[in-house]
Amino acid sequence: MDESMAGSCQKMTDETFILLRDFIYEQSGIYFADNKKGQLEARLGLRLKANNIPDYDKYYYLLKYDPNSSGELRSLFDSVTTNETSFFRSPPQIQAFREKVLPEVIARKEKQGDRQIRLWSAGCSTGEEPYTMGIVLKQILNDRGADWEVKIVASDISEKALRSAKAAVYGDYSLRSVPPEVKQSFFVAEGSSYRIVDNVRTLVDLQYLNLNDARRVQIMKGFDVIFCRNVLIYFDDEAKKRFVAQLYDCLNHGGYLFIGHSESLHNISRAFKLVHFPGALGYKKE
Amino acid sequence: MKEHILDRIRNIDDLPTLPSVALEVLSLAHQADVTIQGIAECIHRDPPLAAKVLRMANSVFYRRGDRKVETLHHAIIFLGLAEIINITTSLSVFSALKSRKAQEVSVRESFWDHSVATGLIARHIDRKLGMRAMGREFVAGLLHDIGKIILDQYFHKEFITAYDMSIEKDRPMYETELEVCGTNHMEVGFFIAQKWNLPSYLADVILWHHQPSQASSRDMAALISMANFLAKASQLSCGGDRMSFILTDQDAWKVLKERGYDVDALDIERITFEMETIGDQVKSYIDTVMEPTGKEPGNG
Repeated sequence: MDESMAGSCQKMTDETFILLRDFIYEQSGIYFADNKKGQLEARLGLRLKANNIPDYDKYYYLLKYDPNSSGELRSLFDSVTTNETSFFRSPPQIQAFREKVLPEVIARKEKQGDRQIRLWSAGCSTGEEPYTMGIVLKQILNDRGADWEVKIVASDISEKALRSAKAAVYGDYSLRSVPPEVKQSFFVAEGSSYRIVDNVRTLVDLQYLNLNDARRVQIMKGFDVIFCRNVLIYFDDEAKKRFVAQLYDCLNHGGYLFIGHSESLHNISRAFKLVHFPGALGYKKE
Repeated sequence: MKEHILDRIRNIDDLPTLPSVALEVLSLAHQADVTIQGIAECIHRDPPLAAKVLRMANSVFYRRGDRKVETLHHAIIFLGLAEIINITTSLSVFSALKSRKAQEVSVRESFWDHSVATGLIARHIDRKLGMRAMGREFVAGLLHDIGKIILDQYFHKEFITAYDMSIEKDRPMYETELEVCGTNHMEVGFFIAQKWNLPSYLADVILWHHQPSQASSRDMAALISMANFLAKASQLSCGGDRMSFILTDQDAWKVLKERGYDVDALDIERITFEMETIGDQVKSYIDTVMEPTGKEPGNG
């Protein structure tokens, strides 16, 4: 996205920022912290332009009071979540997954004599997220890997994204947060691109799935960890509540759900226990 | 053979002291008949402190609008009594406990960051829950870990061992301190609080901020305990910062709930997101308190 276009728009005042931030949080559960004002300004600047609206105040009033603004709300959500996916995105979440969640899940299962780990990347887009999960799991299991049966379900509603995930070939930009030693061990260079190594690629089971399809979601069962980042924004409140309740049912006891870094389930579900990890939040099914 | 560190602390002659004026302001604050004039006169008896309070009132952190605060009297009206108490206490504590050895700076810095963050988060939660702690929560947050700085200053080697152990083993500081030092920062802090004649709610918070249900000032201890957790979550901690926790399972949560505060209505996610940017506020606060002046109070 060309965020420089926003430069031509009027500045967003602090008061308007707070109004818009609160409105967006109320509607979507996504929070723009004080240090994200510039980002919100740039992204909404494009919406101002598209609607031919002169300033952010008027845009706020359109969203809040215009009965026909639901279409715009959708476009607004699209523009605030247009964050392309990449490997090891949101490091504190990945760290929580690596250092806290997986060791806990593995220890519990070892005690129960259960040697299966099932993960789900719900809304996996072009595959960076499920492959990151696979890499981290390989690293954690290390030489115990052979003892475990691992499956990562990766679902998306876009056939195109799934095709790209299946090809599992990525450019430098997708790999920008990948540490060199990980690049070395888990990617194979192919010209100017990189392909995920086979022993990670084969862990991932790519599936077409519309998360709004309650009946299909219902048959997803027995997961230990679910990543469902920046997906809930596309559901209305009622659908969100239903879907999150389903995610709860999909998890094993002791399992975890991760949503987007600045996303919140407050007012959506009380079933989970909110867990504070260093720099990241997770939801636990006890 | 190994003497209890707390006993050794009791016998240290040069333990830091709080300026008498700061203590007087703290105790005046709890008197029903306290007047602005009374507080102003009290602070004026320590001219360098008075100058610093005034400078603080005019700093970016406190200043509202363009109006310059010219007198202490004005500052008290302008900022309110609670804020003036916060300022005098922080200034006094900061100057009493300033880092003495250059190599200790890193732990000290994280200590102050964590203390100020806890105070600010406590203030935030106090407002959200309508607890009306009237500024006392900030001072309590600022001082809750005071025992750590005493341990760091007088038993540096042991404290650093406990600190490293806490980070390495993912265990709370109070456990590793007990293992290494035979005491912990709550006991040491409580001892200092008594020595300084701090108000009892502060001594209580210092002793019980990890088990607020044991405290006499349970509301305040629980508030600080919760703020302490959230400060750690925003990665402003002093030891044990890689820990994860479930806030609703904590003693603090249960105490506040029992005491009739509507904690379930708190949007913890949102508070957590809001607190992610608290580092800037903390830095601005510390810069203001630490900013050197021509004439440093208490050092001349």
